[in-house]
Amino acid sequence: MTTASDVLSAVQSAFPGAVLESRVESDRRLWATIDSNSIVDVCKHLSEKLNFDHYSGAAGVDWIARKEMEVVEIMASHGAHQVVAMLKSKTPRENPSVKSLANLFWNANWYEREIWEMFGINFEGHPGLYPLLLGDELVGVWPWRKDFKGYPDLTTGQRAVERPTSEGYTEYFIPPTPAEIEAGTVPKEKPKYPSFREREEKEIKSDSEMIMHMGPQHAMLPGPFLLDILIEGERVHKAFLDMGYIHKGIEKIMENRTWLQGLTYTDRMCYVASLSNNECYCGAIEKILGLEVPLRAQYIRVILEELSRIQSHLIGTGEFMTLIAGVGYAPWNFMIIDRESIISLIESVTGARLTHTFVRFGGVRNDLPEGFSDKCRSALKYIESRTKEYIELFEQDPIYHMRMENVGVLSPDRAKRVGISGPPLRATGVAYDMRKEDPILVYPDLDFKVVTGTRGDSADRIDVRLREILESIHIIEQCLDRIPAGPIKTETKVPKKIPAGEAYYRVEDPRGEMGMYVISDGGDKPYRVKVRGPVYATLQTLPPLLEGVYIADAVAIAGSMDGCPSEADR
Amino acid sequence: MDGIIEAISSFASQEPAIYYLIIGIIGAVVLSAVVNIGAMYVIWLEVKLLGDFSARYGPNRVGGRWGLLQIVADAIKLFTKEDSIPASADKPVYVWAPIVASMATMLVAAAIPFGALYFNGKYYPLVVANMDISAFYVEAALSLLVIAAFMAGYSSNNKYSLLGAFRGIARMISYEVPMGVCVISVAIMAHSLNLAEIAQNQTLWYAFAQPLGFGIFIVALITDLGRIPFDQSEAEEEIICGYTTEYGGIRWGLILFQEYNNMLLGSILLTLLFLGGWAGPIIPVPGLSIISPLIWMFMKVVIVLWFLIWTRSALLRLRIDQVTDLGWKVLLPLSIVNLAWAVVVGSYFA
Repeated sequence: MTTASDVLSAVQSAFPGAVLESRVESDRRLWATIDSNSIVDVCKHLSEKLNFDHYSGAAGVDWIARKEMEVVEIMASHGAHQVVAMLKSKTPRENPSVKSLANLFWNANWYEREIWEMFGINFEGHPGLYPLLLGDELVGVWPWRKDFKGYPDLTTGQRAVERPTSEGYTEYFIPPTPAEIEAGTVPKEKPKYPSFREREEKEIKSDSEMIMHMGPQHAMLPGPFLLDILIEGERVHKAFLDMGYIHKGIEKIMENRTWLQGLTYTDRMCYVASLSNNECYCGAIEKILGLEVPLRAQYIRVILEELSRIQSHLIGTGEFMTLIAGVGYAPWNFMIIDRESIISLIESVTGARLTHTFVRFGGVRNDLPEGFSDKCRSALKYIESRTKEYIELFEQDPIYHMRMENVGVLSPDRAKRVGISGPPLRATGVAYDMRKEDPILVYPDLDFKVVTGTRGDSADRIDVRLREILESIHIIEQCLDRIPAGPIKTETKVPKKIPAGEAYYRVEDPRGEMGMYVISDGGDKPYRVKVRGPVYATLQTLPPLLEGVYIADAVAIAGSMDGCPSEADR
Repeated sequence: MDGIIEAISSFASQEPAIYYLIIGIIGAVVLSAVVNIGAMYVIWLEVKLLGDFSARYGPNRVGGRWGLLQIVADAIKLFTKEDSIPASADKPVYVWAPIVASMATMLVAAAIPFGALYFNGKYYPLVVANMDISAFYVEAALSLLVIAAFMAGYSSNNKYSLLGAFRGIARMISYEVPMGVCVISVAIMAHSLNLAEIAQNQTLWYAFAQPLGFGIFIVALITDLGRIPFDQSEAEEEIICGYTTEYGGIRWGLILFQEYNNMLLGSILLTLLFLGGWAGPIIPVPGLSIISPLIWMFMKVVIVLWFLIWTRSALLRLRIDQVTDLGWKVLLPLSIVNLAWAVVVGSYFA
């Protein structure tokens, strides 16, 4: 198996002098600073020669003291090896600019757009640097730079004034106060780019086409994002996606909170999967600290994360069924009722139904309650029989097959190229699961299969989720058998100030690959937290998948992705 | 023109015209009261049954344990809401669309026998306009609904509404034809186009005499009513609310009531055509024997309604192209097969 040091030596021999600094953290993590002129060539070499076919994301970091900015490219492989390469390229803080990877990796597009709008780092050769998460009025402020002061005036809501737009509608405008202008909330020079509306109207080719909004408020969506479809009759010709309607700036907020306070924000990214978000954040910090988690705490974490996966898949499937059957569809409510039994199990341990804040650095908050094991087993038995019933129900339903089969088909190659993860990727037949690829906690000791599909269509995506529930039940039962007695927190006291360092930690979220890149500068607050969420990658895949389908199929495809815009926007 | 005037004047000389006018007005008032109150309790039955099917309670506060007055409260809320018309709507068409829809429903209701009374050894059907061609007339009046749906969708000046209206038209046209052929098959067997006579002539229920026609008629009926799996014109998750998107308050209430009126009338029609109407043993209790046909009719209609509601909670929605495919390529050929069957078997019975 290729290890990180193998990769490093291969790169060093192929590009002598290109690797400026390097650190082999473990067999599975490689940190390297690459000369910014050769970053594209190195990435190309990695993807073509060394099987790094999974471009996982990119993070921007503003090193204000060193007067430079950094773009960190995260590269991994779909099962050929388990090395994650974190490749940094540096650029001066004045007029920062790096070379774009968007022409090399299709899915680098959105990550680079985000870094551009937040940090103002220009990407040479990017096909279209338009804002993605920010509103138009904030572009040019570069709000995630360290010298951005924020809004000193808290009276924003009281100052809104009405003004007519050129199209005859009324919009609300908040005039900036002098203090805000001084703090830099009004961009000095505004970047020029066509607006979202202009970009989509450019695509209208004939009079018989029209643009129809599906969002930001639409019965189809699990949360607000704008999906505009260009339709001719019932056919979708093109789809456009705009996000940022619930952008909360969680990554920036966490820079201003202590390490432990930051934990509560990970819950709020996606409350259906808050336990795996907790795990991801805590795991990264444990890695920086080098903490060893006691065995009992590891088991408790695995049990709860798998329980949370079950309830997430149940609500994801149920909600999706209402999209193609209407809210009167009875199994939707059955799934909610089933999920309730899981939720109350989790509640009996964590005390909260959705936002748990349960995982702690080096352990968990509290132990399992008395009699949890029996209650859990009986609940799982019930869920198992119900899940089998659902699988059978969908298998026997002819309308289900008519609506879902061969709808939104992703081929394995295309799925890998677009960087999608989780059940949508596994439905295509690619067995890529963080619990196997980047094993954490006690997952290596447990016996479970990675569930995969064959066709990669909407029906497979649902089928994979339902069968994953059965697999999760199997995992939890093993954990309940093996869980040892012992402490639930580390003996060593976790310091208020985390020593300087950085870590990238990946977990298998119910929706796919969730990674957190945490940097500490030795203070009591994180220097930078970058969240690589699965839904962000899923939503990026959506518009090309919708081209050429019927409107009703667009709903069947978008719903089967189980997207949570709250997590994508962060 | 002269002929018509002559006919009316000769008619008026035999019986006073005012007599017909009074009878007509009383009939209309009674009819709309019966149909609308019936629709209210169809809605109540639907929310209650949907609740049961998906393990919920349904309404259980207003009007006692069974929530019997919930729908009255809902109706009062709808009728007292603010009436708003979109600025860019085609106002006259927008305003008339729900009224046209209600009118079409009432036209259908006028010709449908709701049941019968039994005395002196004879059945007396309860129908406002007992015409000889009522089966044909009902089919024709039902197709008026598509005009109302198109008026609503087109005048709203909304993309969702327009798409919903188009879908509604495509769907209704492709299912009116097989439905009409099924009615013809029944008429051939019954040797009559009068619904009351069709109901009474069924020695063997036509559901058994022509099972294929029965199945096609049920599917076409669900489509005509715009219920799942054929509710594409109002598919909430795709086009918000279809042609009713821009409607609110009393106007939306009219459309809603019209839908449930049609559901009630459709169930009665199905019962009359295929389930033997009010046929059933006469209860040999004085007093009850008079209304025993009504009791049988009521039970059959409730079972049909229960079935229609059951499909909503159990089935998924088809795509619009699959719907038209099914209508033209499967149901229409099958309905013609059924017509041939009716001709052969009908002549045998005769």
